[in-house]
Order: sequence, then structure tokens, then C-alpha cells
Amino acid sequence: MSDIIASMPFLLQGAVITLQVTVLAAIFGTIIGTIFGMGRLSKVPFLRIPSSIYIEFVRGTPLLVQIYIIYFGLPSLGIDLPPFTAAVVALSINAGAYTAEIVRAGIQSISRGQTEAARSLGMTVWQTMRYIILPQAFRNILPALGNEFIALTKESSLVSVIGIAELTRQGQYIISRTFKSFEIYGGVAIVYFVITFTMAQIVNWIEKKVTIK
Amino acid sequence: MSAIISIRNLHKRFGHLEVLKGIDLEIQPGEVMVVIGPSGGGKSTMLRCINHLEKYEKGEIYFKDVLLKEKQININEYRMKMGMVFQQFNLFPHRTVIDNLMLSPLKVKKMNPSDVKEKALSLLKRIGLSEKANAYPINLSGGQQQRVAISRALMMDPELMLFDEPTSALDPELVGEVLEVMKQLAREGMTMIVVTHEMGFAREVGHRMIFIDGGVIVEEATPAEFFKNPKSDRTKEFLRKVL
Repeated sequence: MSDIIASMPFLLQGAVITLQVTVLAAIFGTIIGTIFGMGRLSKVPFLRIPSSIYIEFVRGTPLLVQIYIIYFGLPSLGIDLPPFTAAVVALSINAGAYTAEIVRAGIQSISRGQTEAARSLGMTVWQTMRYIILPQAFRNILPALGNEFIALTKESSLVSVIGIAELTRQGQYIISRTFKSFEIYGGVAIVYFVITFTMAQIVNWIEKKVTIK
Repeated sequence: MSAIISIRNLHKRFGHLEVLKGIDLEIQPGEVMVVIGPSGGGKSTMLRCINHLEKYEKGEIYFKDVLLKEKQININEYRMKMGMVFQQFNLFPHRTVIDNLMLSPLKVKKMNPSDVKEKALSLLKRIGLSEKANAYPINLSGGQQQRVAISRALMMDPELMLFDEPTSALDPELVGEVLEVMKQLAREGMTMIVVTHEMGFAREVGHRMIFIDGGVIVEEATPAEFFKNPKSDRTKEFLRKVL
């Protein structure tokens, strides 16, 4: 127990990095996901096909391999990203693909009548998306998005492999000096749980907030 | 006087099913045209083709003298001039009543917010729903929702109103309040095409009746003539069943 407490400041430092990586990836992932989720539903093949390829490829390959490609693979193409950037890029691309599928389902959950009403009032396709479809879609997909962000928090532990001093990596580092695997990994798990549990509560709160009474 | 809408030889199919088999029709400004006919006969489809919610294979539709061809004109400009009222109301559930009314004038027409608000409030007052301005659609009855939907369309100052079975999804006791708003519009001289099963409405405010079945206009007459002296057997049979 005392080992966990003694290691807490280091673990919390790691937790801050985990949060930074996760929040950035969640933001970029949502933007990417919204664009490609709409792209996948587009009538224009030029938008739809690349969106589908991206989504399917990312969902069909391991995140760990994606991280390796971004961090170790890209330099051979002349793109040399620092570890933190590479971590955020890899997680954003990964989260983007899953979010795209969530957004697609969200858009499809809105009845055709909404689009027709908006178009009949003179709105363009884009205005209809922006003012009518997406606001309702996001309301509907909030629980799924929350799940995705929680998954992302946990998956961010994988970026420890490229030397990011996030929560898991900090734990490994402490264990390499103290050899207290059970206690330290236990502490790591507890910190992850506190983060994800808090996130779930925040999502619940937002969900209640946006429900129309 | 030139027609506000002219439809020439309109054909529309859904896969193998040909829903419209050559419709020719003209609507004059100020005219209230009531379209009746059995379900699946093509009347709603025709209405939806007019503002291009439905694409069609063959034929032309003119708004005044402009051929409505999506590649050549900006269809959004013309949709604004044709207010559409749907069977399922289709209010925007995430927006308050007044926002439903204000959204399109603000975002599409880029009108001045205080003018738009004033106009929205006066329209809501006219339909007796001033106190619901800040309510969400979910808290309104069907009849109230449809009255708001009509007002929302009117916010764009349309030259023509299209009604697609506006009372078919309503509880019987809520039909009257919606028809009342429509009658008032008709009296004010609005050009209207109304697809409906409300024969009383047709008789009272309609200038012309169109009976559509099997994708064609079977009969066209004034309401008095139509109900008293239907010419085709198909019309007679239909009227026997609905009246």
C-alpha cells in the first residue's frame, strides 16, 4: 500500500500525459469521424469510397501496428514525428475510424422527413447537415461516443511502446526500480479507473443536460 | 395570367413501378387546388416532384416561366418560394417552436434577426400559439405541431403552398384546427395545392379538384361539379366509398 502511495505522484504525472493524449485524440478523432462518417454516406463516389477504405482499414488492423507505422514507418517516407505527436496522430486516426461509424449510424437514425423539411425550406445539403441533422445525430450518439472515449483512454496505454511517459509507462518505470509489479500495476489500474469512471459520469451528465424535456 | 406552376408530361417510376404516367397540370396564382385519390395513386409523388424532393425521369415542371432542372438552376431558391407541409409535420425536435420558424429565414435568407423574430411572433399569434414560442415540438399536440409547421413554411414568404396530406396523421378532433388555418390562408389568396382526404375542405375552399389514380389525372372539375356530376366511373366509385 505504501508503495502505491509513494508512487502516486509519478503515476499522476503519467495520468496527465494520458489525459493530454486522450483528449487531443478524442477531439481530432471526433472531427475526423464526423467528416468521414458523412463521407461514407455521400452519394459522391469520390467521397464515399475513400471514406470506406479508411474506416475499414483502420478498424481491421491492430492499433499497435498503426502506432508502429506512424512512429517507425513514416520516417522512411521522410515524415519524422516526435513521439508525442506520433502518439496523438495514431490515436486520432484510430479513434476517427470508430467515431466515423458511430456518426454514420447517428446520421442514419434521423428520419428522412427532417432532411426533406429542411430542404423544402431552401436549405442546402450542408446547411441541413449543420443545423438539422448533426445536432440531432450527436444527441443520439452521445452514449456511444462516451464509450469510444473511454475505450480510447484505455487504448492510449499502447503508446507507452514509443516511449511516451504516460500512465502505463510511468508504472513500468517505477516497477523497474522497485519490482513491486502487483502494487504498482494495481495503482495504475486504479488511476485508469478513476479517469474512465469520471468520464462516464460526465457523459451521463451531458446526456441529461441535452435531453429535451 | 400565366400559371405559377406548369407540369408537362410528368413521369416518375420507383424501380419497376411507374407511379406517374404523364401528368399535365397548370396552377394559376391564387388558386386552391385539391388533389384527391386512392393511396399509391401518385398524388403525393406529384406534389413532391414539384419542389424536387422526388426526382423524375421524364417531363418538365415550370415555376412561372423557369424550367426547374436541377443542373441549370439553384433549386434551393425555388424551394423557398414553395412552402411544403408534410403529413408527419417534420418540425425540428431539437429547436424550440420559435427557432423552428426563425431558422431558415436567418440562415438561408440571412434576414435581420429582430425582423425575423417579430414576424415569427406575429405568425404564432395568428395561429394562437404565442405562449408556445419557447416550447419544444415534443410538448405540442399534433394539431399544434402542424399549425407551427404551416407557419414555419410561411416564414419564407412562399408564393405557393404545397400540402401533403396535412391532417392524415392527426387525431380526428385535432383536424379542425389545422383545416381552419388552411382555410384562412386560402381566403387570403394563397396559391395552394392540397393533397387530402378532407372532402369538406375541398368543397368549402377548393377552386378546382383533381382526381389522380394509377398515375394519371382521371378527372378535373370544380368541386361543385366534381361531387355532383363526376364523369368517370373510377371517380364515381371512389366517391361512393369515401363520402
